[in-house]
Amino acid sequence: MSESAEQQSQAAPALRLHRELVAIWGTGPGLQRLAAVNHSIIGRRMMITSFVFFAIAGVLGMLTRVQLATPNGNFMDAETYNQVFTMHGSMMLFLFAIPMVESFAVYLTPKILGTRDFAFPRLTAYGYWCYLFGGTILTVALIAGVAPNSGWFMYTPLSSNIYTPGVNADVWLLGVTFVEISALSLAVEIVVSILKMRAPDMSLDRMPIFGWYILVTAMMMIVAFPPLILGSILLEVERAFGLPFFDPTRGGDALLWQHLFWLFGHPDVYIIFLPMAGVLSTIIPVFANRPLVGYRAIVVAIVALALLSFGIWVHHMFTVGIPHLALAFFSLGSAIVAVPTAVQIFAWLATLAHGRPRWDVPMLYIFGFFFIFVMGGLTGVMVAMVPFDWQAHDTYFVVAHMHYVVAGALAFPMLAGFYYWLPLLTGRAAVHRLAVPAFWLVFVGFNLTFFMMHLTGLLGMPRRIYTYQDDEGWNWLNLLSSVGGFVMTIGFALVVIDLVVQLRYGRRVRYNPWGSATLEWAMPIPPPPYAFASIPSLGPGSSQIASRDLALSLARGEGYLGFARNGWQETLGVHMTTGEPEQLIVLPQPTYLPLFTGIATAAAVLALLFKFYLLSLVAALATAGLFLLAAQRAGLARDYGPLPVGHGVSVPPHTEVAEAPAWLALICTLVADGTLFTSLLFGTFYLWIAAPNWSAVMAPAPSRMLVFVAVAALAVAAAAARGSMRAVAAGGKASGWMGLAVLALLAATAAAVGLIAGVLPHPREHALGATASALLSYVALHAGIGLLFLISNLLRLGAGFIAPRRVLDLRLTRLWLDYTLVTGVIAMGLVLTLPALVTVLARP
Amino acid sequence: MSDRPVPPRQLWWLAAGFTVWCSALVALYAIHGIGCSFGWSADSLRLWLAAILLAHLTVLSWMWRDITSSGPPAGFGPTGAFLHWAVTATLIAALAATVITFVPPLLLATCI
Repeated sequence: MSESAEQQSQAAPALRLHRELVAIWGTGPGLQRLAAVNHSIIGRRMMITSFVFFAIAGVLGMLTRVQLATPNGNFMDAETYNQVFTMHGSMMLFLFAIPMVESFAVYLTPKILGTRDFAFPRLTAYGYWCYLFGGTILTVALIAGVAPNSGWFMYTPLSSNIYTPGVNADVWLLGVTFVEISALSLAVEIVVSILKMRAPDMSLDRMPIFGWYILVTAMMMIVAFPPLILGSILLEVERAFGLPFFDPTRGGDALLWQHLFWLFGHPDVYIIFLPMAGVLSTIIPVFANRPLVGYRAIVVAIVALALLSFGIWVHHMFTVGIPHLALAFFSLGSAIVAVPTAVQIFAWLATLAHGRPRWDVPMLYIFGFFFIFVMGGLTGVMVAMVPFDWQAHDTYFVVAHMHYVVAGALAFPMLAGFYYWLPLLTGRAAVHRLAVPAFWLVFVGFNLTFFMMHLTGLLGMPRRIYTYQDDEGWNWLNLLSSVGGFVMTIGFALVVIDLVVQLRYGRRVRYNPWGSATLEWAMPIPPPPYAFASIPSLGPGSSQIASRDLALSLARGEGYLGFARNGWQETLGVHMTTGEPEQLIVLPQPTYLPLFTGIATAAAVLALLFKFYLLSLVAALATAGLFLLAAQRAGLARDYGPLPVGHGVSVPPHTEVAEAPAWLALICTLVADGTLFTSLLFGTFYLWIAAPNWSAVMAPAPSRMLVFVAVAALAVAAAAARGSMRAVAAGGKASGWMGLAVLALLAATAAAVGLIAGVLPHPREHALGATASALLSYVALHAGIGLLFLISNLLRLGAGFIAPRRVLDLRLTRLWLDYTLVTGVIAMGLVLTLPALVTVLARP
Repeated sequence: MSDRPVPPRQLWWLAAGFTVWCSALVALYAIHGIGCSFGWSADSLRLWLAAILLAHLTVLSWMWRDITSSGPPAGFGPTGAFLHWAVTATLIAALAATVITFVPPLLLATCI
């Protein structure tokens, strides 16, 4: 009786705190759901959306297997088949694989790291809407019969205007780029949140291994996506306006597309694999009943894998005529990338070998992963060898390898992760009667489908053919592949049924059903919108951190921030390496702005697709305006000084510290931007070295005066930004400095536009003029965005958001203008140097 | 005595070793492309490639020696020791990767 009374007395404050926090963090019912910015909601939506695209792409895959099941198939004509297999690959990679791993990251990362949400919830929501709208554009194009049809990698010249005159390729270029905006925004969000928003005292050496995997993956995305975004922009500009970046008859080179695509494409394999490896590294210790073996070695392996993956893109291009010596660099690089992968495989095996493994459904899928991924890895080492690749290139052997790697790296760990975290998502335990046969159907069906493709490939069956003669010797292998495809599909259907059954009939669970040690289980299940009623702290030497006692203690508000204040959505910002609390981060509440901004961005993309360029410009400006509006609502309009956050600690709000999340976010953004700029420089030099017709072209002579004006104006703008910061910090007025910066940026933009107008040879006539125009446009665009920064500064200065102790906005503007100046000098310098490169260093 | 926080800029060192590897790859691939494109003689192209490789190996060796000789930084606690170990391991791995990836190809014919 007294125990019951004690429980009630403990539950009362927990319930009161829960109600207060739900009122602050909750998302409203009905249409207000469209205003959601909470990571749990967005993460769930991304999972469901990516599963829908997975289902569509899966059906497309089945259609290809129906077509190829027998020789001389007439289920589809060649054009339909081209659209179907192109969309199958594009959807699986861009609309399922990447968003699916992101959805895991979005839903789980804050919880595993012990924080309440991401640093920029509105950006999370904007990223989701971009993904949804971009994917919808591609899907509608498929239904309308104008889907992309040049293969999921859109090689030029097949995807150029001359061979693909309709909108099919434009749909891919614009739709996929749209989706990549989503991926990039989420990547920035994830990096900042992991580095700045962990549980107090969670130093980097004590961060759960999942955090390391997701951190490195997000950093990879920041560097990997810009080359493809640039390639897509250049190809779309070529298709829409005739600038010949990839047209060899006018000084372009079709292979430049392949370089830009695979600079993204190869790291992308690891962008998919690493988060799933993080899932495995989290789950295996739980089922092995012992800590992960080799934590430090795995961290080193992740870093090595990430960087090595950027240096082996040419192994997708072994047959394009690159000299042997250069091929050998990439061949050896591709072979040694297996080493850090093997470090992880052996660490997992050692964890299992030294533990007391117990079998459950997630472990079945982990077994499937080991079998399939190792096979895919071994055939990967085979195709990394140039002589073998020359034989197997463009055959079904490569199709088999790719599916073994991607399914091994993604599908099996993903399903292991789903079964492991479904109790967290749904509050119910799995029903195993269906899960086990579902696994075996998927496993057997997968191997039946794709193992046969190794053999059809070795027998010479090319990729992408829509039918074949009956005397090629491929008949029974193709039939078995198709049968296997249907078996696998039945398995996936059972998985879906199993999930529905679990949702309806699964046993309810309240706390940590697996006995895990990570923090996502130290909260009510399913998680409330605020995740943690109070934020956990990792005391010295704590290891089993997700105990039931901890969950109850946090629910009672005994961690950090175990109270509600001012109606603020509060969480803690910490030191990047040590995890010591250093700032109070106040997050924005639900808003429709991300949805409206996503709609405006979609309008800009659709107008481009239908060649309404003026309308597209208006929509782009509307998007910029909505971003400005969002900026006006960020932060706090007065100084607060240090505020208590619990445990006797007081820290200032994020608006009053130097290391605010937005500062790190802009650095990440500039890294992505710098990668795009570097890719543009690479493209310019590549065309100079490799493309035909550059030595015969007339030597251009850009106006040195305009170049000088542009560079000088950018320098003045950067100096004025410093002046405005000093003025505000000293309590003075900064509007004069800001006005000067605005004028300077207008002058720089005008000079850059003047230079573009005078580019010779004409940008449509030769790639030399086209690349010069691209470089100058980059400068003009960045000067224009600098103007948006300044407009935002002026508005926020007037509204009281900028003050001597709150100068973050001005620091961001200064950083942007510094970057614009540096890239402007490089771009202008190259434009001036191009004539010398063409004439003085003319190739023989 | 409580530990001092490890400066966040130390995190860049985790990527330093393999960034040098990437730099070596880009420089070697670019010079090889330029040399073949402009018809440099095989000997002079090979010399250029060897010089670039040697420069990168020197940088990596210097970085390894520097971090090994200084030892784990005092006063930064377990986080400092962890990062020191991880950076050292990435440097050694990057040095090995540079030798394995780039030395054997230099023995091949240059522009075929």
